[in-house]
Amino acid sequence: MNRMTEAKQEYLSIPIPQELSERVKLEVERAEKKRRFSLMKKRIVSAAAVVAVLFVTGLNTSEVFAEEMSDIPVIGTLAKIFTFRSYETETEDLKISVEIPGIAVIAEDLQDLEEEVNEDIYAFCAQYAREAQGRAEEYRQAFLATGGTKEEWAAHEISIRVWYEVRTQSDRYLSLVVKGAESWTSAYSEDRYYNLDLETGKWITLRDILGDDYAGIVRRSILAQIDQIGQKRAEDVADYWPDQWQGIDEDVNFYINQAYNPVVVLEKYEIAPGAAGQLEFEIRKED
Amino acid sequence: MLKQELYRKLVAYIVENQEKFYRLAFSYLKNQEDALDVVQNAICKALEHYGELKSEAALRTWFYRIVLNESIILYHKRKREILTQDDEWVEQSYEEKGFDIHDDLYARINRLEEGAQKIIKLRFFEELTLEEIAQVLDLNINTVKAKLYRGLKALKIAEGEEEET
Repeated sequence: MNRMTEAKQEYLSIPIPQELSERVKLEVERAEKKRRFSLMKKRIVSAAAVVAVLFVTGLNTSEVFAEEMSDIPVIGTLAKIFTFRSYETETEDLKISVEIPGIAVIAEDLQDLEEEVNEDIYAFCAQYAREAQGRAEEYRQAFLATGGTKEEWAAHEISIRVWYEVRTQSDRYLSLVVKGAESWTSAYSEDRYYNLDLETGKWITLRDILGDDYAGIVRRSILAQIDQIGQKRAEDVADYWPDQWQGIDEDVNFYINQAYNPVVVLEKYEIAPGAAGQLEFEIRKED
Repeated sequence: MLKQELYRKLVAYIVENQEKFYRLAFSYLKNQEDALDVVQNAICKALEHYGELKSEAALRTWFYRIVLNESIILYHKRKREILTQDDEWVEQSYEEKGFDIHDDLYARINRLEEGAQKIIKLRFFEELTLEEIAQVLDLNINTVKAKLYRGLKALKIAEGEEEET
């Protein structure tokens, strides 16, 4: 046997510690997480750039965009709601502040959902901002036409605001609401709710959570909750109009709360006088 | 090939051949913990910079290069640490004066000048072709050949004796 073969045998007999495969696995997993994280970051940046361009051309104003990348997902989470872009613009007549959310999902098979939701959020924000600006302009013209002065108008401090609130953010559910409001009237305030199930990759409906009788379940639950309020303080129940209430259909606004129960949001005047504003009712599944 | 796919191939290659990389690292460091660290660092660097990997064909030599570099960097670091700590100990552990030409070839390979040592390990232990070795070390193939023969000569092995290819 030649000496080089012996040397190779000696080299090959270097014992392999048991830990090796574990350490290799650990490092591969760590790298994988890092890589997905950076892929996600790239997508956020590119998507945000698209939104910025659309907004600049859409509104044709000179906003200063503030990047908010500090709120980037924590490694390990499957999905994240973050501020895509926020900007404020102020002219003599009008102040606009917009905070657009976006979602980022790690799972590759959920990329379509991510795109669809982000486009929808963008469309909602852009449309609201555009329409609100139109209404502000109409209001200004009407104000001046009916004898108001420019100084008086400026004192109104007219503003438009678009923003979002996160309701729930877990490995299974993302629930958020995007809101638009105008300072001079609440008649055009709009809310759009996004409830996503990351396991199925679908938008959640009340039927998904409560079953086919979701409308009945919600109706009974809300009436029972109003009834309970009445049992505590009889005069409070007069603040509700349960008899006039039509119940809900599949278009009702709701979100998923931290306990993963749906919370139905009833519009002003739907079940109570306008002064009560929107009312929220948590719906627990019936036994 | 898609980057995504190349990444998966790289991971599969590393996992499959982990023992080879460990041995190569250990042959330099003679220490389990250090060799494990080298393998881990090499994986970390490779997966972080996989964008630099051009093709699947280059995968093997590219990763060997990283493992070798990591091994040698840590080897030099350990040597420096020992030198500053205790000169006498260095004599025993790194010069290994007790060995001479009659000792086994493996020990002598490990004392060989660095350039030739790498080539001999890759050629005879890892069975890379001269072409591949040239890629790993980023050298001209003639340079690799020359160094290999010089190394074999230093080991007192005739050129014909071990050279099958």
